[in-house]
Amino acid sequence: MLDPSGLTGHHGADISHLSTCMSSSNEITPVPALGQWEEALGVVAVHRDKKAYAELFSYFAPRLKAFGIKMFGNEQQAMEMVQDTMLNVWQKAALFDASRGCASTWIFTIARNVRFDMLRKKQSRKDDISADDLWENGDYPEQEGNHSQQWDLYLVAEKVAPYFDALPPAQRLVMEKVYLEEQSHQEVSEQLGIPLGTVKSRIRLALDRLREAIDGPRS
Amino acid sequence: MAHVVKFHPSLSLLEQYSEGTLTPEVALVVAAHLDFCPHCQSLHRDIEADLACSLAQQPAAAAEGQDWQQMLEAIVGTTAAAPVQKVVANEVSLQVGDHQFKLPRSLQRIAQKRSKWLSLGGIATAKLPGTADHHLSLLCINTGTEVPLHTHKGMEITLVLAGEMVDEMGRYAAGDLIINTPDHTHTPRNLSDEPCLCLSVLTAPLEFKQGLTRLLNPLQRFFY
Repeated sequence: MLDPSGLTGHHGADISHLSTCMSSSNEITPVPALGQWEEALGVVAVHRDKKAYAELFSYFAPRLKAFGIKMFGNEQQAMEMVQDTMLNVWQKAALFDASRGCASTWIFTIARNVRFDMLRKKQSRKDDISADDLWENGDYPEQEGNHSQQWDLYLVAEKVAPYFDALPPAQRLVMEKVYLEEQSHQEVSEQLGIPLGTVKSRIRLALDRLREAIDGPRS
Repeated sequence: MAHVVKFHPSLSLLEQYSEGTLTPEVALVVAAHLDFCPHCQSLHRDIEADLACSLAQQPAAAAEGQDWQQMLEAIVGTTAAAPVQKVVANEVSLQVGDHQFKLPRSLQRIAQKRSKWLSLGGIATAKLPGTADHHLSLLCINTGTEVPLHTHKGMEITLVLAGEMVDEMGRYAAGDLIINTPDHTHTPRNLSDEPCLCLSVLTAPLEFKQGLTRLLNPLQRFFY
């Protein structure tokens, strides 16, 4: 059950409450620790709880709007995307599955799909390729690869140093904390206020990008 | 699908796919590649988590004021969607001549909207809904057949869906994604004893290069 106090008093500037869902498979706890938004979605799904939903709305709607304006370049379509996305969150909360990813990832994928279908309809291509064809809803089983280990050696050898600066800033920051400051994934997650799963994702992406920079595209 | 996929989209192509900014036809080819490739599925999920986290962390003004309040009330005034039963669609297979192919999930719906198969030599092609800029089609290359040496005026993306083919650059099997730009020239061949089914996106017609096959150039539309 949701602790109601967990849903009050959070505002946009405070990121300390960001979820820490998706525990790694090599930790002892088998159950992912649910963050605030994952719990809120659960309460919305089960109890149609308007207060929990209003908290989600107040946090995500303005951020989706900023994202929409960046993608569409205008406020009207951005707001249409926000409304459609947040309506889906309200109506389909029961489909959210915390074991497959964070609340923010689920909401992002809904917004992406809404945006894709809006653009398609605008071009009156209603019969063609749709978001449902392109993105399977979280049905791919989580792959827990170990391809990161083999790269530790390269990193130690500083072979990748010249490529490090070319990483996207968010990925580089996580890499510096893990490989240079030798912090644990959990520490980085807490320090940056991002989900543990995202720390791991960013490391895997950065490693793949470094490998691509050194080896050329996978083939 | 025991075959290990060897030819993958670049990370930047995957990023645009995950973000939803690729052209639909190109996105569909990437989606079909993911249906074959656990490695790229996993990267795709990582990219989604990364993008979503950036979205959730950006600063934004609180949702205060009448507009937001009205939107919120309109939304919570609606009832929950009926529990969605996962539609287990009948798996669509594709019949080409007397050969049947299984299709990846992402192509199941769109493949039903294909045009009639047209055959020329050992090659059959059927168009899928595309746009003026991006022609999407299925291509079936028979055993022992080669597509004459050609170059591309635009970009050609090919995904092998079943069977095998080779060209000057390598050997490709189910799930392999091949991207050719105007500076590539190649002669895809099917040397195996099964037909090879491909999904192809072209941004401009092929141009045939050698001897008599140049006579094919008026037939470019067949491949486009």
